[in-house]
Amino acid sequence: MIDLIIFVSLLALGYGFGRHAEKKHYKSIIKREKQYSSLPALTAKTPTMLSKPNDSHLVVGSVVISVDYFKRFISALRNLVGGRVTSYESLIDRARREAVLRMKAQAKEMGANLVFNTKFETASIYQGRRHQVGSVEVLAYGTAIIPMQRG
Amino acid sequence: MEYSNPEIPEGINTSQSHPLKEFLWLTSSVMVTVIAIFAGLILLVDGVTAYIPFSAEKNIPFPEFAAGEKEGPLPEYLQSLADRIVEVESLPDEMKITVHYLDDETVNAFATLGGHVFFFRGLLEKLPNENSLTMLMAHEIAHIKHRHPIKSLGRGIVAGIALSVVSATAGDAIIESFLGEAGSLTILKYSREMESEADETAVKALKSIYGHLDGADKLFEVLKEQSGSIEPPEFFSTHPVTDGRIEKLNTYTKETATQNLNNITPLPAAFNTWIIESSLPDSEE
Repeated sequence: MIDLIIFVSLLALGYGFGRHAEKKHYKSIIKREKQYSSLPALTAKTPTMLSKPNDSHLVVGSVVISVDYFKRFISALRNLVGGRVTSYESLIDRARREAVLRMKAQAKEMGANLVFNTKFETASIYQGRRHQVGSVEVLAYGTAIIPMQRG
Repeated sequence: MEYSNPEIPEGINTSQSHPLKEFLWLTSSVMVTVIAIFAGLILLVDGVTAYIPFSAEKNIPFPEFAAGEKEGPLPEYLQSLADRIVEVESLPDEMKITVHYLDDETVNAFATLGGHVFFFRGLLEKLPNENSLTMLMAHEIAHIKHRHPIKSLGRGIVAGIALSVVSATAGDAIIESFLGEAGSLTILKYSREMESEADETAVKALKSIYGHLDGADKLFEVLKEQSGSIEPPEFFSTHPVTDGRIEKLNTYTKETATQNLNNITPLPAAFNTWIIESSLPDSEE
């Protein structure tokens, strides 16, 4: 009986905190995306037009987000019946967008006005370990274009 | 050329549906499947247990501490009553009924594996006539006749395995309680269908012994009265609602044309003395 109580508490805890964190995170993501809209991140390998002399610099944004117990449980049930694992979709979506935002934050600090050749890497932490709540790392990196100051 | 990142609408890469809705849908569909599987398993177990010979039940060791009293006029009277019922319920020869009398205040009686039937002093001292005692005993013997103990054991083990899928400790505890030494005696629970089946057989037995059902309803009145107390004994948790049973008994009674209120058979004159004597501490030692 006791493990059933622990299980239900973990689910409730996971749902409560996980849901709160996710809502808060999305709010912040949407706000900052608007803030950085003047600094586009492109996937093009080379920018097509650079009229002025520029500096270029590698910029990196990395984020690690943990799965909560509730999401994990839902995905375990999805393992049985199949279908969209919506509980993980929002997790990965948050991680990807957060990584781009951190990359942009670094670029902005350097005075960049453009990031090109943006790429993503994803890594699963705790991969393959049973009974471990896993986390996902998303790394976004690109080349920031920094206009040269004419002294 | 000007570059810009457009504002991408929400809900393309993620789902807008509420996670609790998904949780409910997933758990309920998985639960329904699991329940269906175990309902099937229980049917299978019921089918299989019917083929377990009664002699196998008798081989299950019987714990001595639960034997109760065997000597004395009361256990002998109970055994003789049981023998009469065995005859009218036409139990197969190999099904031997052993009556146990337990000197305890518990208002209960039960039948278990190996043809052992237990009666507690607490219930016997409340019964006003022989007809109600016969009804009680015929009911318990009917459980044996229909192989309810072994079916219940099979169901219990399946339920334990099913539960251990959800909770390992709870499932193990149930299996342990069924297969443990004392557990096999007392934990057996009979479903409502089993209780109704036993009632039906008991009523038939009563009719062939006395020719009527008068007096038997006193048993249910005693049980009903008891279930109203603050702590209902375990007996009531699985037995069909007593009101319904009295009602059913009344319809049985109406079906039989002979309804004579004066033909209630009394208990042996010394019955109460036997009970009082049995509850006294042994003074000879």
